Amino acid sequence: MTLKRILSRIGALIINAFVMLLSLSCIFPIVWLIYSSLKTEKEFALNIAALPAHPTFENYINAIKTAKMHIYFFNSLFTTVVSVILIVLFSFVVGYFFARYRFAGRNFLYTMFLAGMLIPIHALLVPMFVEFKVLGLLDKRITLILPYVGLGLPMAIFLMENFIKDIPHEIEEAAYIDGATLTTTLFRIILPICKPIISTVVILSSLSSWNEFSFALVLIKSDALKTLPVGLTNFSSQYTVKYTQLMAAITIAILPVIVVYLIFNKRVIQGLVAGAVKG
Amino acid sequence: MERGLFKPKSRVFIGYLALPVLWYVFVVVMPLILALKYSLYDWSGGPRMRFVGLSNYAELIKDTDFWLSFKNNVIITLLCIVGQIGIAFVLAALMTTRVLKFKEFHRTVIFLPVVLSAVVIGFIWTLIYNQQIGILNWVLRAIGLESLIKPWLDDPKIVIYSVSVPLIWQYIGFYLVILMASLQSIPKEIFEAAEIDGADGFKRTIYIILPLLADTLKVSVMLCIAGNMKVFDHIYVMTGGGPGKSSMVMAQYAYNNSFIMFKLGYGSTISVGILVLSLAIILLSRKLMGGKTQ
Repeated sequence: MTLKRILSRIGALIINAFVMLLSLSCIFPIVWLIYSSLKTEKEFALNIAALPAHPTFENYINAIKTAKMHIYFFNSLFTTVVSVILIVLFSFVVGYFFARYRFAGRNFLYTMFLAGMLIPIHALLVPMFVEFKVLGLLDKRITLILPYVGLGLPMAIFLMENFIKDIPHEIEEAAYIDGATLTTTLFRIILPICKPIISTVVILSSLSSWNEFSFALVLIKSDALKTLPVGLTNFSSQYTVKYTQLMAAITIAILPVIVVYLIFNKRVIQGLVAGAVKG
Repeated sequence: MERGLFKPKSRVFIGYLALPVLWYVFVVVMPLILALKYSLYDWSGGPRMRFVGLSNYAELIKDTDFWLSFKNNVIITLLCIVGQIGIAFVLAALMTTRVLKFKEFHRTVIFLPVVLSAVVIGFIWTLIYNQQIGILNWVLRAIGLESLIKPWLDDPKIVIYSVSVPLIWQYIGFYLVILMASLQSIPKEIFEAAEIDGADGFKRTIYIILPLLADTLKVSVMLCIAGNMKVFDHIYVMTGGGPGKSSMVMAQYAYNNSFIMFKLGYGSTISVGILVLSLAIILLSRKLMGGKTQ
């Protein structure tokens, strides 16, 4: 073996080691969090890095009993599911009309929706709080669904419109000749074709609803309606910080996302990138 | 476009479009207009609302705390552009070589933090940075670098860097995947030709991959700017803008004014300020970057 080849071997090894280190730095904190949540506070304080000697679910029981994590979990789930269904339905219909018809006001509406992607959400926080307060919409079960759907629409409509544009017109023409109404054509024929883009929209909007924080922080006050991200901040400020219990609470919040990601990671990655690059 | 298509009556259009459009107007357009209105009032949420014209804006222009927050947003943005896109670019270039192993694993794992909520990332890093129980100080101690141990989130001199690290860390995977996607659209022959011509890894990266990725890198920079102008959740959880105002960002400042001090009028003015500054910076950078290639 020549010196040059040995050097390039060593170089390759160093590069691989570095990238591996970076990769591990991305999962280690999460793994550490999860296994530490299975320790008692005492055991954790003794050695913060060691694996739990006697794994216990005590922290989880406390996170549910005292910190009501299960309520936050249900609220997040409810808000996310309803928001995602509405976003898919609305963006599909609006996207279809934008893609297929030139009607009065189309360009105006199109620009209005697209401009929504540029607006920083914090510009809307204060006035929305006031608007909701005046109308008595603060602190209701549907409160968060309103902004989540509204803010999720621009990107979703844009993705849908782009996708539907490329579906051949002949499909609808055939349906029309067969006497199908618009509604039938829309939901029986076009909707199933849109499955791939719908799954992208579902991924994008469920992640953003599940993870959203600012609106949840401002628009919801009662504990019974808080979602996970706000529930977590509540948790750390209200109780004297029990680290392992906080870790259990965080684990409850991230576990569904991680499980979904590990199963569908290719789809999730594709979906998020499609959303960002096309948007 | 409408050739042969079923042409519905206008009440069908209205029937289908009314709800989504009204919904959107109610939660996006209306608040935007209201923000402009409230920004002209002195108002703390009660029945007394005093019209003050543009004096909130005059105050905003002189408000050193606001400009300090803006400066912090800019610092964070610059650090993220260099950190996220820089690291992602190097990784993406490595992904095209045969040197790197376990590519699929790296991609999946480095992307993982992207799907987690900013609040959770904030909490995880608060724990990592923690004085007593933080894993960072534990690692430093373990490798004999105890002198480097710092109150990471409590030292006003370094806090802006401490809060940027989680932001960078969370989104490297995002830019990596964007860059990899556009590298995949480059024909393999180009790389093969370069190899035959004897371009080594470094030359290949600078002369072939960099120019081919120029457009994608520009998009990435725009995304990075837009994302970091509105950074809030991480900061809220980790420092709340402190200690003092050393890690204050615009969104946190608007939040404090509106919901802690209940200056809803002035808070709206700050919101409009954020909107204007963000759009200005995005347009400006678009112009600057567009100019370079032409």
